[in-house]
Amino acid sequence: MAKRLSAQAKLKKQVLEQSLCTGCGACVGLCPYQVIHADRTVQLFSCDLTDGKCYVFCPRTSVDLTRIRQILFDAKNITPEIGPVKRFYLARATDPGLRQQAQHGGTVTALLQLAMEEGLISAAIVSGQNEEGEPEGRVIDKSSELIRYAKSRFTVSPTVAAFHRLPDGFGGKLGVVATPCQATAFSKIRTAEIEGYTKGRSLGLVIGLFCGWTLSPDKFKNLVEQYGLTYEKITEMDIPPWRSVLSLKTAGSDVEIPLSEVDACVRTACRYCVDSTAELADLSVGAARYGGECCEMAGWNQVIVRSETGAKLMDLAREKGVLEILEAPAEALEALKAAAVQKKKKGLTAITTKTGSAKKLLYLSSDDPLVKAYLKR
Amino acid sequence: MSKLLSSANSKVLFLGNEAIARGALEAGVSVAAAYPGTPSSEVIESLASVAHKRNLYVEWSVNEKVALEVAAAASFAGLRSIAVMKQNGVNVASDFLLHLTASGTRGGLVLVSCEDPGALSSVNEGESRYFARMLEMPLLEPADFQEAKDLTKWAFELSEAIGNVVMLRSVTRMSHASGNVVCGKLPTKSRRAAFRYDGPIMDSKAGPMISTPVVAKHLLHQDKLQDALALFEKSPFNRYFGPARPELLIVTASACSLYAREAVEMLGVQKKVGILKLATTWPLPPKLLAKHLKIAKKILIVEEVLPFLEESVKVLVAGFSADIRKKHFSGKLDGTLAQAGELNPDIVADAIGRILKVKLEKLPASYTAEARKAAALVPVREQTFCAGCPHRASFWNIHHAIALDGREGFVCGDIGCYSMAALSPATGYSTMPTLHSMGSGTGLASGFAKLAPFGMDKPILTVCGDSTFYHAVIPALINAQHNRADITFLVLDNAGTAMTGFQPHPGLTVSAVKETVPAVDIEAICKAIGAEVEVSDPFDLDRTGKILMRFLSEKGRLKVLILRQACALSPEKKGKKRFEVKVDETLCVGEACGCNRLCTRIFRCPGLTWDRTKKKAVIDEVICAGCGVCASICPQHAIVKTEVTASKS
Repeated sequence: MAKRLSAQAKLKKQVLEQSLCTGCGACVGLCPYQVIHADRTVQLFSCDLTDGKCYVFCPRTSVDLTRIRQILFDAKNITPEIGPVKRFYLARATDPGLRQQAQHGGTVTALLQLAMEEGLISAAIVSGQNEEGEPEGRVIDKSSELIRYAKSRFTVSPTVAAFHRLPDGFGGKLGVVATPCQATAFSKIRTAEIEGYTKGRSLGLVIGLFCGWTLSPDKFKNLVEQYGLTYEKITEMDIPPWRSVLSLKTAGSDVEIPLSEVDACVRTACRYCVDSTAELADLSVGAARYGGECCEMAGWNQVIVRSETGAKLMDLAREKGVLEILEAPAEALEALKAAAVQKKKKGLTAITTKTGSAKKLLYLSSDDPLVKAYLKR
Repeated sequence: MSKLLSSANSKVLFLGNEAIARGALEAGVSVAAAYPGTPSSEVIESLASVAHKRNLYVEWSVNEKVALEVAAAASFAGLRSIAVMKQNGVNVASDFLLHLTASGTRGGLVLVSCEDPGALSSVNEGESRYFARMLEMPLLEPADFQEAKDLTKWAFELSEAIGNVVMLRSVTRMSHASGNVVCGKLPTKSRRAAFRYDGPIMDSKAGPMISTPVVAKHLLHQDKLQDALALFEKSPFNRYFGPARPELLIVTASACSLYAREAVEMLGVQKKVGILKLATTWPLPPKLLAKHLKIAKKILIVEEVLPFLEESVKVLVAGFSADIRKKHFSGKLDGTLAQAGELNPDIVADAIGRILKVKLEKLPASYTAEARKAAALVPVREQTFCAGCPHRASFWNIHHAIALDGREGFVCGDIGCYSMAALSPATGYSTMPTLHSMGSGTGLASGFAKLAPFGMDKPILTVCGDSTFYHAVIPALINAQHNRADITFLVLDNAGTAMTGFQPHPGLTVSAVKETVPAVDIEAICKAIGAEVEVSDPFDLDRTGKILMRFLSEKGRLKVLILRQACALSPEKKGKKRFEVKVDETLCVGEACGCNRLCTRIFRCPGLTWDRTKKKAVIDEVICAGCGVCASICPQHAIVKTEVTASKS
């Protein structure tokens, strides 16, 4: 009988060597054998366990979407395009000061602050930077500090690793802010059935972020240098609605880089992603951009409420007045779905091109009806 | 009183190397110099222990070449002197040795080479006997402990008789075994040093000490060798044991003659086999050889490693009369004995048995079965660093830096305890794929670093110990700096020549005879060469790791990291634990996902053991040296260290 590959070896063969690693940190922080360094997942020493959690939690090892959806969401809310949709809103933080400092409408920060102040969560894991300027997950337990982490940098932090590193006896519930790949990892963690593993239960709130792609920091650093900028000095990054540029702000100057150039810096793993709205989060938040009047909605967020937890938090936000909430027009949902379908098709094409078969879909299952729907026939 | 100074006629149990030291004392040696190297180090250590009483100058030199030069200076000034080294040390000294044999010497000068057939404590089984032939230098090989003393004493007399250096060769089994020695007299008078150089150039007693005019001096050198040969023909150290007309004659020397005698007894063939035990193995005395070769038809030459003696015998035989030439020779050249590794009585008995067609009585089957059962009870012990060894922490740091860097960098190894990282890859976390001679790690690194234009763009690291640094690394380091070799050079400074037994070196303020001497600062040398230098404690994993990461990422120059932490076995540290270390079993996750025994499976300090029943890591309090490094690597913080208070320690 052939020797069973260790979990770590499978991770290396099926994910790392296939350029599928999203850098989410799901395989890091569990043990001393794997670390993230300079945006690479490094296997320091070999571990011979065949059933390691690193392999189980990775969002790019097989994901049983049907099972996860069953456990976390109401079947009647599931849409093929953007996953479960309980409600759909436009929202922004009521506090104009918060909006000023946040990426779009400040909805994520306002929701986290609220959840923490109301005791729904006792701490939140957000994306920050370590001393060396590398992205890392930060555990924040003071709501006043959350605002410092409100901006997007278009890179992935190994946020899931920060969750793993928390001690088992961590008191209370945790809120996390997650890209789609991280939300997938957190959904695997929440629904895992591993003997003796109970930490998944401490995940009280997963706020997903809409995500088209993320950047490979090394490549992107080189690109911004060509534009005379220093990556570390960038204070704001955004894609203005309906313009194919990435706008960058530094203390001195603003620069716009055409998306066609930025595309070369996109992380390879993102090309195999089919999730643009963090379908497995409690609620997902992104910039409001749809239809001809989009510019009027600049500074607002779109919010997809997916789970009961998400719904309760939105109700609370309305009640406490921390968010201004509007019912979203139908065209906004349609536009969002159309964009999501585009990414699904593109991602699936990339996957089938890589594997050479519509039956081999890497981490996805070709039996999943929602995956099947977007496979090119 | 030291047993080395025992009175005349007393019988003393001496280590082979102590017997050599006693022989030198009886010869009236004044100056002794050496670089430590197993199995040679005890000669100098013994002499150093009586240096004050016997009015000797004894030093640990920076390397073997300098040791020989220091000893030669004493000889030029008319004193008797000795230089001691292990086999490969002769290679280091050989450039000077070539010129020294050409210029000749005055006071008796003996070069002792203690060799290591089978490489029991070496990474080579180099043969220095060939230097005797190549550099035309008499070679003496003692065959027992009494001879080790007597032959050493006589070597000084021979050196003075021929006006040239004499080489005395020992092997591990001679240097490191012990036997009874009857002592001779210790001289009461000592010589005064005086160096004359105002005589004619060809006057070896009063002229300048120089190898020119080369041809004339070479001829003079060779004339003197004839004097040595005449003495060898009559030497009582060359002896024959056995019947007048044996069926087989064994020609042998050194410890091999003991193996040969034992093998003959084991086989019970004393009446068939004679043994010609030679002590003067180069140049071979032809008349003596002819006389003994005549008595048997079959000749077996027993020696270790290469067929040096066999070749010398056969060269002589070619010039002998036809009746002697018509012999059947066995030895290394016909494959009767292997040209590598140590010999022992069993191997020699097997060879004799094959020639004489007699069988060695096999051990009873029951004995073999019992032995096999007992062997299974012996725990598997791998070669590894000691508990609390700073090198383990250093290689842990190096491994992490290389892995995080991600460009598959590697370490060029060097000679010291840290060589273990290459000899037993798991010990060095598989970072060190090369290992050669002292100082060659830095030279190799200097070369590897220049291969980027040919497509090999990896970070190149190299390590050396503090003693090795002084011995042979400095020229390579200068080469790296001058030729812009981008290397990360680590000095694993454990404050002594640990591998050979804590001999002091130029970085310390104590000499071989425990006098206070100025230390030469490694950091200052590296800075003067122009390198960027950082100093760290390898036990401080955080800081050391950060420096290494920075060094690996900075291209185009020489970077030096000195990792300072004294050896766990050093006299100042031994038996004193800095930390009391314990495993909190409630936190240890053992084999489970989350750790999978990092401490006992990967880190592998012998102070950490695995309790198979409890499935938890345990600190072996007897072995643990209390360095506390394992507390830093435990992912669960289950290994807890508490500083031992001064009153307790």
